[in-house]
Amino acid sequence: MRIPILKLHNYLLISIQTDLDDKTAIQFQEDLLSKIHKSGATGVVIDLTSVDIIDSFIAKVLGDVVTMSDLMGAKVVLTGIQPAVAMTLIDLGIHLKDVQTALDLEQGLIKLRQELEE
Amino acid sequence: MDFQSCVKINREWDIVGARQIGREHAKKIGFGTVDQARIATAISELARNIYLYADTGKICFEIINEIDRKGLWILAVDNGPGIADISQVMEDGFSTSGGLGAGLPGVKRLMDQFDIISETGKGTEIRTVKWVRK
Amino acid sequence: MAKILHVSDKHVTIYIKIRGKMQHGGKRMDKHLNSIVINNSDTIVKDWLVEVSKNRHNDYTSAISEDLFESTNREFVNVIFSSLEKQGITSELDDFSEKLINLGWPLSYLTDGLQAFRRVTINFILSQSEKVDSDHLSKVLDMVDNWVDPIINQLVNEYSGSWEHIVSLQRVALQELSAPLIPVMENITIMPLIGTIDTERAKLIMENLLEGVIKHNADVVLIDITGVPVVDTMVAHHIIQAAEAVRLIGSTCILVGIRPEIAQTIVNLGIDLGKFPTKSSLRKGFQAALEMTNRKIVHEKGSDEGIESLLDSLNGE
Repeated sequence: MRIPILKLHNYLLISIQTDLDDKTAIQFQEDLLSKIHKSGATGVVIDLTSVDIIDSFIAKVLGDVVTMSDLMGAKVVLTGIQPAVAMTLIDLGIHLKDVQTALDLEQGLIKLRQELEE
Repeated sequence: MDFQSCVKINREWDIVGARQIGREHAKKIGFGTVDQARIATAISELARNIYLYADTGKICFEIINEIDRKGLWILAVDNGPGIADISQVMEDGFSTSGGLGAGLPGVKRLMDQFDIISETGKGTEIRTVKWVRK
Repeated sequence: MAKILHVSDKHVTIYIKIRGKMQHGGKRMDKHLNSIVINNSDTIVKDWLVEVSKNRHNDYTSAISEDLFESTNREFVNVIFSSLEKQGITSELDDFSEKLINLGWPLSYLTDGLQAFRRVTINFILSQSEKVDSDHLSKVLDMVDNWVDPIINQLVNEYSGSWEHIVSLQRVALQELSAPLIPVMENITIMPLIGTIDTERAKLIMENLLEGVIKHNADVVLIDITGVPVVDTMVAHHIIQAAEAVRLIGSTCILVGIRPEIAQTIVNLGIDLGKFPTKSSLRKGFQAALEMTNRKIVHEKGSDEGIESLLDSLNGE
């Protein structure tokens, strides 16, 4: 199973709508990086509104993908992390320190634009 | 203890299956959405440990009905290599697999009770309980 | 000459032994004994009032006025007798207990009163009896118990029911108070915390906080700890976790209301609050929140001028 990645101007938009298993997550990491490479996108929004579990593995994949994208010159914002998921991450001791977040897709795009203008 | 239902962990996809079943149990007992997420995440961590380190094992669920409280008991058993130094794996940030090292200490924080028995060469058994908040 | 027996707690044990044999005759009240009691109610009531008044000086009822005490006693004893006449629990009993609950009289007034009543009545009946053998004694005890016990049970049920009700109401009220969320302005929400924070409450606070941020679409949320008396490592840990979780869902948390002694404890305990913004007062925090959402407070010129001209006109006088 593959997660669709949409392109909008200079941005890539991803909405994860499925219960992520390890393979899908790794596949997504590869897909996103090659898409950034091909499209030259400068910003990425990953919307997690429909994700109801993020365990330490998925958190690591997401954290890594943010760092990797940054290395390739694309800023990433995670949006729509559910309260239950956020609390679980905190309990796990995962703080995703270097990751930008926003309440929803719209706010995420605003945040990206601000970051990129600076 | 006779467990109501068990899920075998053989393939990677079984991790997702186990946590879905766990979440259903949690929902049935009356856990709130946040605790459902906590339980499902804990199961995910336990199942992944089995998959990564022991190849095969199982996760079992038992609903606890006591006079004054209800809860979900989760048992994770494998016949893998066992854990040589338990205090080490319970440290935050310790990892042999390149993960975040949040697995077992994280499970302990997500749940209310946590017991681990492990014997090198024989396997590991983790028993953990979450109580329904009143 | 009738034999007067002093009835004390010892008889209770005797009674229990006898009752084993007498069970089949138990529940039905003896008509003859009933009529003794009803015909001599005045004497029994008089004796009882004396007994109850004895307790009065050294306990809870001493603060109650003489008149009220008298009239309540009368009402009480009427209720007891009416339950004998009607052979069961009456609505008068319900009304009476409800009244006492509302007045805040302790349950022990009722249970002490009923125990005194049991003693007085048994003494009286036995004093009227020709001969007192164990058979007769057990009959009398049985009759009085069948009369008094249901009343005690009913009263205890009423009282404990009322307590449970109050406790459950207070629990709900406390929960509502424990983590309130106030959306003061578009995208800005405040959570004032008052009182001690324990692990249970900290969880509730975090859940309310995160749900509230989503619900009100808050870009900035201010946690005001002015009303939290003690901030130890545990409380600080919970607050930091809440702030981290708020950041994960895409909002920002400002901790406000940090009093000098709390700043001292935080530093002395080595707690690192450097990761998220803190302000000493809610006002400063609110200003920071406005800046973060690209807004600021602008003083309207018009009203200033109004005040100045008013001051000028005052000076002119």
